[in-house]
Amino acid sequence: MARFGTLNTAWMVWDNPAPTPGGAAVLEYTQELEKFLAEIERRAFRMAQVALRDPDDALDVVQDAMLKLTRNYASRPSAEWRPLFYRILENGIRDLQRRRTVRKRVMTWLPGPKEDPDNEAQDPMENVADAAPAIPERLMQAQAMQQLEESLRALPTRQREAFMLRNFEGMDVAETASTMACSEGSVKTHYSRAVHALREKLGEVW
Amino acid sequence: MSEQDNDAFEKRSRALFQDSVEGLDMRIRSRLTQARSAALEAAATRRPWALGWKIWTPAAGVTTAAILGVVLWMGSPLHHQAGTLADAQSNFEDLDLLASSDEGSADAMDMLQDDIDFYDFADKDANPGPAA
Repeated sequence: MARFGTLNTAWMVWDNPAPTPGGAAVLEYTQELEKFLAEIERRAFRMAQVALRDPDDALDVVQDAMLKLTRNYASRPSAEWRPLFYRILENGIRDLQRRRTVRKRVMTWLPGPKEDPDNEAQDPMENVADAAPAIPERLMQAQAMQQLEESLRALPTRQREAFMLRNFEGMDVAETASTMACSEGSVKTHYSRAVHALREKLGEVW
Repeated sequence: MSEQDNDAFEKRSRALFQDSVEGLDMRIRSRLTQARSAALEAAATRRPWALGWKIWTPAAGVTTAAILGVVLWMGSPLHHQAGTLADAQSNFEDLDLLASSDEGSADAMDMLQDDIDFYDFADKDANPGPAA
């Protein structure tokens, strides 16, 4: 994606020699914000990737969430950043999924190039051999994670959100409710159903 | 499905997720760092612009109110009434000119008084009445 390839300039306006009044406070919360984003970004990316599958789409929604948080909510208390960030992220994921659905519907009505069955799996990375021999245990873990991801993608959106926020992100019920903009009771229900569905699906292979 | 099994399942899935986060390749890590930097840069560069808006907002409000006032005035009956008043003012000015006692108009009135018999004759000649 083009958005990620063009950052060559110095990025901190705080390097300027004459800080504006109140600059020290701004600098402080910018540093705090950077620390927060650095801590959260990889997990957020993986959660977006679980939902969207495509890594570039996942990077896009994570970057959008970062931009929206820093632009609109940077001055809010730092305790609010995590629920706000994940709410923005989940909205971004849902928007992208909706756009995909619409695009898919439109594409079915439009005449397109015929699919070549021999031309599937064109990702060149798929044909590159791994540099190191795969350790069986690692391989098994990767397979288990892949199965978990597929099962999560099959869940209803709210159940998937509740499971990922509670289990992967380690949020408590109250914070999850705040992120999902619903009651704590709903979070508990969604989470419980998600665990039940996942265990049912993965029970045989896990 | 027991509660204990649920706990084990949750622990395992969390551990797997954490492994997958730690195993992210350098390309993704680098792009996430770029995204974070871009977000912080955007927030930093946006601030003076936002401040500018705060400064200009009252001025923009006053200007808008003034423009709105002019537009309403142009469209209101008061504006048309003002036009009528202006016309009336013009008529007054004409009367004033006629009634003014400057040199030229005084001469004209004197001339009218001097030749009143001639103008009476001319009027009767132009509009002859029935013979007496």
